[in-house]
Amino acid sequence: MADNKGVETTGHQWDDDEGYPLQEFNNPLPKWWLYTFYATIIWSFIYWVLYPAWPSANGFTKGVLGWSMHTEFKEDMAAVQVQQKAFNDQMERLSLQEIAKDNKLLQYAISGGKAVFGDYCAPCHGTGGIGVKTGGFPTLADDDWLFGGNLETIHETISGGRVGQMPAHLKSAGGNFSDAQVDDLTSYVLSLTGQSKDAAANQRGDALFHGDAGCKGCHGDKGNGSLKGTVDGSPLPPIGAPNLTDAIWLYGGDRQTVRDSIAKGRSGKMPAWSKESKEVGKKLDPLALKQVTIYVHSLGGGQ
Amino acid sequence: MQHATIEKSIPLMAILTLILVSIGGIVEIVPLFFIKSTIEKVDGMRPYTPLELKGRDIYIREGCYNCHSQMIRPFRDEAARYGHYSLAAESMYDHPFQWGSKRTGPDLARIGGKYSNEWHQAHMLKPQNVVPESVMPAYPWLQKAALKYDDVDVRMQALSKVGVPYSPEQIANAKQDLAAQAKAGGNDPGLAKRYGNKVPQDDFDGKPDQITELDALLAYLQMLGTLVDFSSYQAQTR
Ligand code: HEC
Ligand code: HEC
Ligand code: HEC
Repeated sequence: MADNKGVETTGHQWDDDEGYPLQEFNNPLPKWWLYTFYATIIWSFIYWVLYPAWPSANGFTKGVLGWSMHTEFKEDMAAVQVQQKAFNDQMERLSLQEIAKDNKLLQYAISGGKAVFGDYCAPCHGTGGIGVKTGGFPTLADDDWLFGGNLETIHETISGGRVGQMPAHLKSAGGNFSDAQVDDLTSYVLSLTGQSKDAAANQRGDALFHGDAGCKGCHGDKGNGSLKGTVDGSPLPPIGAPNLTDAIWLYGGDRQTVRDSIAKGRSGKMPAWSKESKEVGKKLDPLALKQVTIYVHSLGGGQ
Repeated sequence: MQHATIEKSIPLMAILTLILVSIGGIVEIVPLFFIKSTIEKVDGMRPYTPLELKGRDIYIREGCYNCHSQMIRPFRDEAARYGHYSLAAESMYDHPFQWGSKRTGPDLARIGGKYSNEWHQAHMLKPQNVVPESVMPAYPWLQKAALKYDDVDVRMQALSKVGVPYSPEQIANAKQDLAAQAKAGGNDPGLAKRYGNKVPQDDFDGKPDQITELDALLAYLQMLGTLVDFSSYQAQTR
């Protein structure tokens, strides 16, 4: 018989051929464990009284503390409002220009705007507005603007959204021009940044650009875009036609991509973020709009 | 009854376990079906259109839920990032629902309308092209695979059996409605009549002459979280 050190056994016994039987000891649980276990049972009763717990036919027991996830959420939201009230009231009252002149408010707006930008804008414009690999999403950290880089214009862009409308020119894509003509136009556009040396093609493209194809009506006589360019001496409407002479490309500056832009057209879409916009989707409140405007303006290209 | 009697008879133990567990289940689950605040009344909810439904199937097939939840919890940081917390009513036509807490990527409950179709196309083709630090895998085949939708009406019929209120008319027109929604600049009166005039009709995948799996997936993503109008929603404090 093995030594059971005074511990009670359940009486079951197996496998005792060798004289060393396998026995089932009835060791008590450690006291600390047992009392902790009892304490959790008692706590569950207390919990039922304090917090929402049991469902019933027409609701549930609300608990004497009256706690609810949704009230806590509301209080949390309200607490932030109170914390930031002093700043927010000023931000709401002052114009963008005035905020930009007040150093404290400016820092507050930039840090708030940075968070907003990270959540909503960075996927299209890159972290810090440095742009993304895929064409069609402009860099915001440079001073090459489609629509304009002053505070008011940036605010207008973000609030109302923008759609760039570059028509298709190739016949098969719904335009009016042949493959050869689109090639010539491509050569001319590339020549503006010194990338096309085929003088004859450039010249034919030039004639189309300033003639039948009507490119100058949007990109300007010199092809330097709707923002800086002019046509026959008068300024262009703010339609976001890019500057084709600065080697900063919205879609890409290799021959194939430029040809695609001209042949099939483009229509880049910047979503509208103001609550007044009819567009479906995520919207920002006026305060966040101001903050993110100031943040974008601070990225390096603000005018 | 002796403890030993129960322990030594497997059938008896199984039956008693079943009874015990059922009591727990009944007490916890059954009242939820009757509590009014479980599913709040909201305006705007409608069943998925056939195209969105196919998109949802692709979402599940590709296992997007392994990294993305569709449940915004009522916390300040979540509300600040994603928008209003999710309501139970918003997933009332979901079988199965897409809640969860596994978030390798962001919550998608309100992704609808956040980005343009062009962005989604680029992102699904190769996420790192738009978000360099992304760990999301690429799904380039979605834009190439033609959408198979000859079973969409049967899918809708099955869902109507578990309580999704598809009308016989919606089921009968499922295939036309699906094709109509994937048309660029579409403006199909039938689709609008059956699902409301807020349904976006678009060439979601950037390939106007083909209905691909990406059309379906993007139609689904672009409507997520957009149905309930929160400017008129009054939270019931409970
Ligand atoms: C779905 C992608 C997308 C998102 C998200 C997005 N943008 Fe844009 N944004 C664009 C595109 C595309 C354009 C260019 C529009 C065009 O082609 O005319 C643009 C243009 C702009 C411009 C004008 C640039 C110029 O050169 O004039 C600004 C400023 C801007 N976005 C800021 C923002 C801010 C701030 C946010 C976040 C609140 C944001 N964008 C979110 C896609 C996006
Ligand atoms: C109706 C105005 C309009 C006309 C006409 C027009 N463009 Fe454009 N073009 C635009 C706009 C706007 C964009 C920017 C598209 C976007 O934002 O998605 C653009 C973009 C481009 C681009 C891409 C630039 C880049 O940075 O990637 C090229 C190249 C171009 N246009 C060349 C031409 C040529 C050549 C013609 C004449 C055949 C022409 N455009 C006619 C408005 C116009
Ligand atoms: C391995 C995990 C993983 C899987 C699987 C995955 N994603 Fe993602 N997803 C991410 C991560 C991480 C991000 C954030 C970075 C980015 O935008 O790419 C993300 C971002 C996104 C976003 C942008 C969200 C936002 O608010 O910016 C969308 C939309 C999305 N995923 C859709 C999908 C779809 C649809 C699928 C299935 C076809 C999918 N994802 C599968 C990890 C994943």
